[in-house]
Amino acid sequence: MGASSSPPQSSSEVVAERRGIPAASFVKDVEAYLNQLGLDVNSTLAFLQERLQQYKVVEMKLLAQQRDLQAKIPDIEKCLDVVATLQAKDSDEALLTDFEVSEGIYARARIENSNSVCLWLGANVMLEYSSEEATTLLQNNLENAKASLEVLVADLQFLRDQVTITQVTIARVYNWDVHQRRVKQASSSQDS
Amino acid sequence: MQQAGGSETEVTWEDQQYINKFGRLNNRLHELEDEIKIAKEANENFEDASNELILTDEEVVRFLIGEVFCHVAKDEVEMRIEKMQQTTTKHLEKLDDEKESILAEMAELKKILYGKFKDSINLEED
Repeated sequence: MGASSSPPQSSSEVVAERRGIPAASFVKDVEAYLNQLGLDVNSTLAFLQERLQQYKVVEMKLLAQQRDLQAKIPDIEKCLDVVATLQAKDSDEALLTDFEVSEGIYARARIENSNSVCLWLGANVMLEYSSEEATTLLQNNLENAKASLEVLVADLQFLRDQVTITQVTIARVYNWDVHQRRVKQASSSQDS
Repeated sequence: MQQAGGSETEVTWEDQQYINKFGRLNNRLHELEDEIKIAKEANENFEDASNELILTDEEVVRFLIGEVFCHVAKDEVEMRIEKMQQTTTKHLEKLDDEKESILAEMAELKKILYGKFKDSINLEED
């Protein structure tokens, strides 16, 4: 099992856009591309640069969403841990815990045995659930968060591919222009 | 990764896909290195914690569960720390394996891309 050296994806599948992100069109031939756009080199370069900036803006947004999700997942796992601990306790004595009242200040709490927990649902709403229901709810939330994160990561990969394609196109248009100037200079110095 | 020079080498869709794949792998590599660092630090913390545990003569230890410190018997704390260590070590192994396979794939892609574009392409870390 070694690294494959064949193209990474089937070349017949080209996605036009993904979740609102327009795909960067791949340029086969620079001259044909410039003719198709009907712009000169500088305008083309400006257009491509602007596209690149737009991609960067979207990337910032997606990265922020990714950071939020990546913070949410450990939180849900901690909650599951606590509920599991409360459920697992089967002795009759209360569970003693030290919790943070304010920064650096802790207080002791006795948690009596109970079959239910209260879950904070957001929007100033807290509901009481049985331990089993709470575990189910938290598991669901965790799976949803993980699924969203996967989709987000795929979006980011698609976006980065479009950024790479645009960067390569900018370099090729620029190189083509340099090449044209050199050819023109060589032919004009030959004539004189 | 940037391109330089005024050469006229043709870039095919296949080449573009290789370049894209290299970019993706490079990003994933950086993320992996961060995750590996975090996992290693966690393991070190577990080591320190279990060492402290051996030294202490208290029977009840305040163990962080969620956001509160529960009073837990020393034996149970030892078991929990060991379990967490095992989970983290396995996770670390998986990350290391993924990192190795990514490095191998990137080396392959470098060979292909440098082979075609030579100086026109730069695939090194700046």
